[in-house]
Amino acid sequence: MDRREFMQLGALAGGTLLAGQALAQTSSNLAPVRAEKPRIVAPGGQVAVVTPNGSTLPWKNVRGVKVGHLVAMPVKHTFAPGLEVEAWGYNGSTPGPTIEAVEGDRIRIYVTNRLPEPTTVHWHGLILPNGMDGVSGLNQRPIAPGETFAYEFTLNRAGTYMYHPHYDEMTQMALGMMGMLIVHPKRPRGPRVDRDFALMTHEWKVLPGMRRPDPNAMSDFNVLTFNSKAFPATAPLIIGRGERVRIRFGNLSAMDHHPIHLHGLYFEMTGTDGGFVPESARYPETSVLVPVGSTRVIEFVADEPGDWAMHCHMTHHVMNQMGHEAPVTVGANARTIDQHVQALVPQYMTMGQAGMGGMEEMGMPVPTNSIPMMGGKGPFGSIDMGGMFTVLKVRENPEAEDGSGWFAHPKGTVADKADPAKLAADGIDPDVHFG
Amino acid sequence: MKTWSSSRWKKPAQGALLATTLVLGGCVSVPYADDVRDVRSTLGPRWTPEVPVPALTGEAQRGEDIDAAVKQLLAQPLTADSAVRIALLNNRDLRAAMHELGIATGNLVQASLPPIPELELELSKPGGEHELQLGVGVEYSLSDLLLLPQRRGVALAERASERARTAGEVLSLAYRTRLAFYDVQARRQQLELRNLALRNAQARYATAAELEKVGNLRALDLATERSAVESARLAVAESENGVQDAREALNVLLGVFGAGTQWTVDSLLGDPSDALSKQDGLEARAIESSLDLSTLRGRMEAAELRRKLAATEGFLPDVSGGVSGEREDDRWQMGAHIKVGVPLFDRKRGERISALSSRESLKARYEATATAIRASLRQTRFRVESTASRAKHVRDVLLPATRKALEETVLQYNAMQLGVFDLLRAQDNVTNAASTYVDTLLEHHRARAALEQLLAGRHEGLELAPTRISAAASGSGSAPASDAH
Ligand SMILES: [Cu+2]
Repeated sequence: MDRREFMQLGALAGGTLLAGQALAQTSSNLAPVRAEKPRIVAPGGQVAVVTPNGSTLPWKNVRGVKVGHLVAMPVKHTFAPGLEVEAWGYNGSTPGPTIEAVEGDRIRIYVTNRLPEPTTVHWHGLILPNGMDGVSGLNQRPIAPGETFAYEFTLNRAGTYMYHPHYDEMTQMALGMMGMLIVHPKRPRGPRVDRDFALMTHEWKVLPGMRRPDPNAMSDFNVLTFNSKAFPATAPLIIGRGERVRIRFGNLSAMDHHPIHLHGLYFEMTGTDGGFVPESARYPETSVLVPVGSTRVIEFVADEPGDWAMHCHMTHHVMNQMGHEAPVTVGANARTIDQHVQALVPQYMTMGQAGMGGMEEMGMPVPTNSIPMMGGKGPFGSIDMGGMFTVLKVRENPEAEDGSGWFAHPKGTVADKADPAKLAADGIDPDVHFG
Repeated sequence: MKTWSSSRWKKPAQGALLATTLVLGGCVSVPYADDVRDVRSTLGPRWTPEVPVPALTGEAQRGEDIDAAVKQLLAQPLTADSAVRIALLNNRDLRAAMHELGIATGNLVQASLPPIPELELELSKPGGEHELQLGVGVEYSLSDLLLLPQRRGVALAERASERARTAGEVLSLAYRTRLAFYDVQARRQQLELRNLALRNAQARYATAAELEKVGNLRALDLATERSAVESARLAVAESENGVQDAREALNVLLGVFGAGTQWTVDSLLGDPSDALSKQDGLEARAIESSLDLSTLRGRMEAAELRRKLAATEGFLPDVSGGVSGEREDDRWQMGAHIKVGVPLFDRKRGERISALSSRESLKARYEATATAIRASLRQTRFRVESTASRAKHVRDVLLPATRKALEETVLQYNAMQLGVFDLLRAQDNVTNAASTYVDTLLEHHRARAALEQLLAGRHEGLELAPTRISAAASGSGSAPASDAH
């Protein structure tokens, strides 16, 4: 069924138009804030980490100790307009705020538990006194609901780390409890970067129409996120042409590694949660595999302006709420099937017989609280992607961008329908037969 | 529990009819019209309001009028009431039953006539100079005349019993017609649902065939869907047969044939109602109006009267008397005589024993019948209530739930979480719930008809067993899934 045929199914038109409008309205609310001039937070002009769709933990300086407060709590979370869940997180969000400090800082973090069950916090990748490592039963007693514990230690190694519960972690992480922890070096290493981003990858199982992620899931993860947002709700990363950029990826997914692929540039991996990769060991790449329970840091300079895709290369990880129980209809004659089934269920129409691209544009009514076929609007039509997908916006004047606009392509630089005269001149016969 | 007592069953005799028959005694014709009127007045208070008792018409009014009325009723789509009306007008078994009542009426008329006097004429010619002699004698049985009221009493009681039995036949015909009509309605609806189930199976098969053709489905799944289509087809064929059977059963009751069998039904089984079941004292009402008990009462009374008659006959000498005249020599000699037969040996003891036993047997049967009526009433009443609440549950809860499930399946299908086969199975569940509704409604209407029948006075021939006419349904909905691949 093509779109024109679909519109002839008048019975459905009302509902779908409304759904489409609702989507258009809400997605504009999710546009990223105007890109600000990077803030300097560490010696040597090291810029602050930006957590797209997220926030940074505020510090209080108390007699030379950086004091912060994490509250473990249930949160209402929207992955993308149309899918809101009862998740767990810190300080009202998932992921929790990014903790950002400098090598040598002494930090004291109070952790208040407002969950219905105990919790702890493990500081993933940090080397610290054993009693501060947060493994319930091994290093400490669990923080009971209502209790507040204090963690205090000195950050003696720079790097990209994470934090997450180590009590019933299967449930607590599946429900969204995690965050990034970044320690800037006291003395900057390598070339100074102009932008520094933190992106936590994650995977969830939320069946269409449900309101709580399934912590028992071992496969069938159907919501894939950067900082707990699924495309089109992922905020783009706005950078200036020629700027040196660092992106820190973390992965606290239950089961899957994520090969994150960047378009329009190549990069080198400069760090893991183990530390810095020596220059001699770096090599150029366009995809970086972020394994479960690891961080990966990449750096690059983007020379080519434009709107560049950045996404997990597992194709099912750039879908929203995929199901895989339905029969394959690719190649089938939809008319034959429709004729029979519509006589019994008028709302029915065969899908997927000509592939699944553009599905979202049909705007069919779907279960409440679900985003099974969501895609994003692009300058050339629908971007039929979801999940772990975002856009790297490389611009001449990044501070002037709010991320909602599209790259203006110089004339003649966009692929388009070939001119028949040019085809003929180049000796190309579009009707050529093979086999 | 009420038990039989003589005061209860000694009802005043129907005098009007007797008077009529005596007046008409001279010219003989079948008493059909009078019998019908009599049965109608017997049914009157018992007749449930919706049923058109006036449809029961006398022979005198029969003929073209009736045929035209039946034709007119048949030309409209039938309703339960119009079917009953046609049956009352047109059913030949009912007409036969009316004529059977005429037999009892005839017996009554006969028993009401006084004994015939015997006239004797004697001519003799002794010879010689004697002239022809003429003797005239009249003889009359006085004991027969004395026993006449008692014999008439027996016949009257027997006819009362027959009248109640015939009224019961009328009720029974109305009841059976009603059931047959509901059966036609229900089977028509089930046929539609079976056709829907077949279309569903065909849609699954067509989809499977299309998917198999382009390499997306196993041959196994295709074969499975094919077998589901074939079972669904069989279910439709069975259902068609069921409709035909039900129509023929109703045709017999309506007394129609040929073009008369072309009637249609366009209404659906009505919604469940609980109007009757809310009333109290239904058991007493059923006993009060029971024609089955009336019949037994009439027969008991006849047996009692036969016993009394036999007792009277046993002690009453056979008396007859007469006058005679003899003409001799131009003169009449008059004389009278009386004849007395003394019942020394035959005092009708045997007849008395028979009559008494018959009375006692009927009395016991009366009590057994009353017990059965009460049990049937409780059973029927419970079934009316139970089927009404079940039908309402199916209508108000189950059906909407399956429809909601279908709607949600559509959404899940749109969300590509479920496949087209899941969708069609959800639709099939709606069909099956509708099927359950039809079954339950049929059971409800049958139970209600039975309850009305009991309250109208008839408990013989009630069909109280639950019915399931959708047994064929199982074939279509149970085909294994073939969504997974
Ligand atoms: Cu992935």
